[in-house]
Amino acid sequence: MNKRMRYVRPMFAFACLFAFLFSGGPAMAADAVRIGHTVSLTGGASMWGQSEANAVDMLVKKFNAAGGILGRPIEIVRYDNRADAVESVNVASRLAGDKVIAVIGPAQSGNSIATAPVLERAQIPMIVTTATNPYVTIDQRTEKVRPYAFRPCFIDPFQGTVAARFAVDRLNAKKAAVLYDVGSDYGQWLSKYFDDAFTARGGQVVAKEAFRSEELDYRAQLGKIKELAPDVLFIPTSQKEAALAAKQARDLGIAAVLLGTDNWGSPDLIDLGGEAVNGSYFVNLADLDDPDIREFVAEYRTEFGSDPVLPNPIMAQDALIMIVEAAKAAGSVEGPKLAEALANLKGIKVTSGTLTVDPADHNPLNKPAVIQKVDVAKKAFVFVEKYQGE
Amino acid sequence: MFLQTLVTGLSIGGIYALMAVGYSLIFSVLSFSNFAHGAVIMLGAYIGLALATKLHLGLGLVAAGSVVGAGILSVCNERVAYAALRRRRAPSLYLMISAMGCSVFLENMVYATIGSRFYAFPEFFGRRVVSVGGSTLSLLDLFAFAVSIGAILALHLFITRTKMGIAIRAGVNDMTMCSLMGVNTDRLIAVVFFLAGAFAGVAGVFLGIRYFVYPTMGWVTNKAYIAAVIGGLGSLPGALIGGLVLGVLETLVSTYVSSVLRDVFSFTMLIALLIWLPNGLMGHETEDKV
Repeated sequence: MNKRMRYVRPMFAFACLFAFLFSGGPAMAADAVRIGHTVSLTGGASMWGQSEANAVDMLVKKFNAAGGILGRPIEIVRYDNRADAVESVNVASRLAGDKVIAVIGPAQSGNSIATAPVLERAQIPMIVTTATNPYVTIDQRTEKVRPYAFRPCFIDPFQGTVAARFAVDRLNAKKAAVLYDVGSDYGQWLSKYFDDAFTARGGQVVAKEAFRSEELDYRAQLGKIKELAPDVLFIPTSQKEAALAAKQARDLGIAAVLLGTDNWGSPDLIDLGGEAVNGSYFVNLADLDDPDIREFVAEYRTEFGSDPVLPNPIMAQDALIMIVEAAKAAGSVEGPKLAEALANLKGIKVTSGTLTVDPADHNPLNKPAVIQKVDVAKKAFVFVEKYQGE
Repeated sequence: MFLQTLVTGLSIGGIYALMAVGYSLIFSVLSFSNFAHGAVIMLGAYIGLALATKLHLGLGLVAAGSVVGAGILSVCNERVAYAALRRRRAPSLYLMISAMGCSVFLENMVYATIGSRFYAFPEFFGRRVVSVGGSTLSLLDLFAFAVSIGAILALHLFITRTKMGIAIRAGVNDMTMCSLMGVNTDRLIAVVFFLAGAFAGVAGVFLGIRYFVYPTMGWVTNKAYIAAVIGGLGSLPGALIGGLVLGVLETLVSTYVSSVLRDVFSFTMLIALLIWLPNGLMGHETEDKV
């Protein structure tokens, strides 16, 4: 026998053993109710994802101590979707195979839109955490509500309107420019909603410039924007692109006020952007100083020794509470009954406040939005004002 | 506006050129595309980042540390992953596949050990800008451009004026003959990989300062590879020209045509150029470019 072969065989046997051990999926308790969690534990959104996983685990412990769902303990089946659309679809199929009663996540609009049909076919309700695009709960082709898609967060038209309203009313902006990611549903739609709302309020959008996902240099686009001298520059992207765009805009001498969206809300916006992001504003789903969530923040700090990375942990807890409440109301964990109960939730107490689902479009009614200001010296997002939903 | 576009394009192109040199250097000697180059750039950036944030060194020492570190990593990469293939005269396609494997391996190793977080370098240049005739340019870009061009010129001088350089050029021509004439080819290849790694180190530090440091930052080298192809793979002046051409072209298209259509336009031009000049702007006639 070839000398090398001697090692190859045992290694192959080991590989098989490992494959066998890990192929069975997570072991489950006797009659636990399984809830799926599709979340970005690695990849670009991992900061939020990991904090989200912590918050869900924290709440599951509490629910289980109080008797779980209909007397059965809750077990979370969690897979990493790497904030990637293909991976999200794979995760959804795996969760369907794992016989979960409902799924929490994904957090991103594009990934949620990709996930929705898979879970709909399996008749498993999905409660996305922070996916704010309208077409997460509405099927874009038929314009009908997706029976198995829900969310606890506000939607982009509202967010775009809040941003535009703030720009016109508080910043007295007349001219605005937009820089967005053409490869992201989130950015594409938000730039449209902002444009509509800003124009409707008498402003003028002088430039809408785009870049491709994963691209790092926006100076060509920003150079064009600079010539048009806008008062505000709206950047509906995640914190990474926002920080880069801010640095490059300031390098080119653009003086416009920078305005962002809920994806900016990560502590590393300040680490990455430095002085360039100072004094910028953005719309967020929740604020650490919001009195409504004070209790949750304190509890999270004691448990994990750090602040939660908002808003995902709160929205994921809201999603879990929605599932538990709906199961209680339906007296069952079967998909169709659970979905019907989810669509008719009224005035339930969730981590972010109270929540009522609109049966017509599966969006929550009257979700508030906050405007935060980036303060680099204090390394904090300062609360500016709160808008109540319309 | 035109001047600003040109200045921005040149500064983006300068970094493309810096990265393209690494591809061209290795291609010229071993006739394969070292797709692990992006990963070496990424590791160089992490080395620089560690020196800058943990040891609080200045830019000079950070760059020097990153150059040496990435150079050594690049040589190790060759010893571990390519040397055995090379000695057994594997087709260059296999070397390229091995390089892809290295790239994925290194990226995932960083994911597993350091994590997927984004890091920013300390601001060595602050937000200082230089104004040239109404257009602004950050001090960083000016510096990066000067260093890129300087480094490429220095490499050119090394290759044309030193004994080692002559050996490398002989190796480019005919490696077997070269070794028959008494040149230690293993050492020669180590030097080539060290040089490519050193360029990766500089590029990594500049990319890290200009953008961020994160495991997949090496993907930006796709553009650099294309720049190397435009210039003619294997040609150093070609890498420089290819990088600058691509940077300026991209910026012009996104300013005057559309930022959304930028890649459609620039890549159509790339394909057209290659149909017209299959070996790139400065390439030599070759048969198997993989």
